[in-house]
Amino acid sequence: MITLSQRREVGEFRKRYRWMALFVILVFGALIVRIAQVQLFQRDRWSGIAQDNITKTFELPPTRGVIRDAEDRIIASNRPSYDVYATPRLLRIPEDLDRIAFLMGLNQSAKDALYNRIEELPPARQTHQIELFADVSRTQLAALETHLSELPALDIVTVPLRDYPYGTLGGHLIGYLNEVNDRDLARADEPGRYRSGDRIGRSGLERRYEPLLRGSRGFRREVVDARGRALQGTRPQSLEVDMLKRPVPGHDLQLTLDMRLMEAFDRAFEPYPSGAAVVVDVHTGAIVALYSKPVYDPNEMSSGLSTARYNELTSDPFRPLIDKTLFETYFPGSTFKVITALASLEDDVTDPMQRVECMGSIKIGRQKFRCNRRHEWVDLYESLVQSCNVYFWELADEVGLERINRYAKAFGFSERSGIDVRGEAEGFLASREWYEEHYGAFRPGYTLNTAIGQGNTRVTVLQLALAYAAIANGGTLHVPQVVRNVRSPDGSLSETFQPQVRREVGVAPEHLELVRRALTDVVNEETGTAFRARASEGPLVAGKTGTAQVVSRKSRSEESSSAWYLDRSHGWFAGFAPADDPQLAFAVLVEHGGSGGASAAPIATKVMQEYLSEPQSEGTH
Amino acid sequence: MALGRTLRDEFDWPLFISVSTIALFGVLNLYSATDGGTTSDAYIQQLYWLVLGFGVASVAVAIDYRTLERYGWAIYGACTLALVLVFVLGRSVRGSTRWIALGGFSLQPSELMKIALIIALAKYLHHDTKVGGRTLGDLIIPGLILALPMGLVLLQPDLGTAMILAFIFGSIMMLTELKARSMVTLAASFVVAAPVTWFYLLKDYQKERITAFWDRLGGTQADLLDSGWHAHQSLVAIGSGGLAGKGFTQGTQTRFRFLPDQHTDFPFPVWAEEHGFFGAVLLVSLYLFLVLWALRIASQAKDRFGAVVAVGVGAMIFWQAVVNLGMVSGLLPVVGMTLPLFSYGGSSLLSTMLGIGLLMNVSMRRFSH
Repeated sequence: MITLSQRREVGEFRKRYRWMALFVILVFGALIVRIAQVQLFQRDRWSGIAQDNITKTFELPPTRGVIRDAEDRIIASNRPSYDVYATPRLLRIPEDLDRIAFLMGLNQSAKDALYNRIEELPPARQTHQIELFADVSRTQLAALETHLSELPALDIVTVPLRDYPYGTLGGHLIGYLNEVNDRDLARADEPGRYRSGDRIGRSGLERRYEPLLRGSRGFRREVVDARGRALQGTRPQSLEVDMLKRPVPGHDLQLTLDMRLMEAFDRAFEPYPSGAAVVVDVHTGAIVALYSKPVYDPNEMSSGLSTARYNELTSDPFRPLIDKTLFETYFPGSTFKVITALASLEDDVTDPMQRVECMGSIKIGRQKFRCNRRHEWVDLYESLVQSCNVYFWELADEVGLERINRYAKAFGFSERSGIDVRGEAEGFLASREWYEEHYGAFRPGYTLNTAIGQGNTRVTVLQLALAYAAIANGGTLHVPQVVRNVRSPDGSLSETFQPQVRREVGVAPEHLELVRRALTDVVNEETGTAFRARASEGPLVAGKTGTAQVVSRKSRSEESSSAWYLDRSHGWFAGFAPADDPQLAFAVLVEHGGSGGASAAPIATKVMQEYLSEPQSEGTH
Repeated sequence: MALGRTLRDEFDWPLFISVSTIALFGVLNLYSATDGGTTSDAYIQQLYWLVLGFGVASVAVAIDYRTLERYGWAIYGACTLALVLVFVLGRSVRGSTRWIALGGFSLQPSELMKIALIIALAKYLHHDTKVGGRTLGDLIIPGLILALPMGLVLLQPDLGTAMILAFIFGSIMMLTELKARSMVTLAASFVVAAPVTWFYLLKDYQKERITAFWDRLGGTQADLLDSGWHAHQSLVAIGSGGLAGKGFTQGTQTRFRFLPDQHTDFPFPVWAEEHGFFGAVLLVSLYLFLVLWALRIASQAKDRFGAVVAVGVGAMIFWQAVVNLGMVSGLLPVVGMTLPLFSYGGSSLLSTMLGIGLLMNVSMRRFSH
């Protein structure tokens, strides 16, 4: 046997083994600590990434709730929009682009624009899908689909798009959608609810009821491998996520509106460029019509306005962006006389039978006030029928500003009605203190102007309709109601809104009765200011005309030839129908229509009489 | 001395069991890693290699290591020659030439070189019985023994194996006593060598991996599609395994091909993903035991040759395991490095089994004279 060495020769190594062992233990110990850190403390983070790795999520957008009118006619629903997407990297240029342009029927400039768009894409974006065309027509869709197999770069995606079968009619109230902005996305109370590119209710009921109408997004997931290939039917045990969540459609709204009545107003307003009308159910405060003319195009609003177009819309003298029923205030004119009359009756200021002689004008102090004509001797009743200013001026002196304002307030003027739409105008009643503050001193003339609905009294069309509803129903002021009920996606009622009483106005029934009789004769007596607007058939309509002066416009230098028109008075007609058994109250305003008896009254009487004589579907008023 | 008696009395069961367990875990893991893929029969291949490996180990046990000592230089010379032949006969895989086709096999001489280096250094130290501290001059010859094969391996280029050769050398030299002054000089020369290595010796893709690693450590997530991708997906696999793992053949990172080289350089993430922290700790503990056992064998060896061989084999397993585990767990940059006994691959397994055979050999002959 070879004797290589003695045992002592390994002595040089002896003392090293312990240190080596310690070193080995420390190093492996460090590795175990690291593994513990990754597997135990960071597990959730890495698991999340592992799951993301193997899943590809396709979002399923919810279907927005449908908005219907009182008769279940569809006001807002959804239709499919076919959007064409392309992966630029896969496009063969120019063959594919030429082909697409041909199939889409693009003209030369649109074709050039398409070419430029593709060419200007940075290389990094070339692999991501881009939207080529949104909402293509049926013909274009058919053409593209026929050749889709030869155009691998293309993808046609169907997304639900909001559709308004009545077009712009009722557009202010219904509102519109547009794309979410950064603020919507950042809103903390609903994280993840919206994604870039989603549409959100931006105005009107679409905005007010956004949380109900929207529904919630769903998704579908696929298991994919590292190359992004879908692996059908594979479902790893460790995958802790849901593979499918069906989108939940939004709730449906049923409104109190009757689109048939809305359409009738639209036809009746044809001769006039602008105006508004409100019809409410006198027993419930339900709004049957809320009409404002002109209306913007919701499609235009939802695609985003250019600054130039926005300026054009805002400088339009007929103000298409403004809902004239809620957001604009007007002098009520003579329609306000009922308040003055009721104030005097109720507080027993004067004997309603006592006559006053109208000589066509009256001199108070050094000022001369003109009546619309010479009414001779008239009492309260006749002065309402004939709209005699002189009588009311005499009366104003005795009733006083405070009483008029008190009753006006009781009838809901100068306060928000509480309608379900944001930003409703309040209107205004000028007090003695207000006059002293703004006009230096209080003069009796202010009371006179207030008595006949001029002065500084400003009302909304809705407020006037509600006040007349209170007169018609015996003194109950309602909260106006637009939405009758909300239905769940399965069709069951999830919420029904009951009529809400704001207050009893506190006026004796016989006084309201007197005013109602007078309003009936405005239309049905030969001397009445709306007698000529009387329709030959149908239930009787009662109401009060009004002619509200327009505050003189300051600058005319840049006005067009239409300037004279814009200086004309607004015509009013407010009342109720049928006269003997009031169901509906209304207020109709024709901007720059001149006398209310000649402009607003014919519209109101015609529309109301026709509407009430047509056979109603069941379940209405 | 009859081997028969020794075998019965002195067979090192702890060594055998720990090695067999790691290797069998490796086969199971390989089955899972390749299940359903195009290389799904790789585990059978690996079983063949394993049988062959035990055969090689048995041969290594049967020959008295003192015989190996006698032929030490010849073994070293043959392996070095094989490394040279690589450049003549070798075939290129992914830009580096490491393999020689040998009949039906592909042989990786750099793997065998690790064992040859251990034997050569053992032989040198066996005869160079210095008393007291060594100076730098005493390191020249062992340094040259390292430098020749290491240079050849670097030329392939195979940074990982070259590094392991250096680590084996370093670990063995730690057995000897070095004078304090020499140690300072050595440290200083490393400081000089580092930038030279970076600027002149490393290939671009190697630098890229190291940069990606530092970026990750520094918190800046470098482009995950490039160099950082491997390390990132490896951490995803390990981390998502959690405490108990996703279950055998249920690792999603593995099955859906997010792990690169999952049966060669990245088998541990596969294991950790499917068997969780428990499985990971079990495997790491087996390596820890194996390395400590090698040190024990070294400490009981009856001569310097045996001690150096045992430390060298222990160091080989230790450093490969540490570098591989550090790399897959994001502690070290990604370099090509297999996990000994566990990774798929014949040459790596054979050279490791050869080393294990030597360990057994030293262990069984610790009392013989």
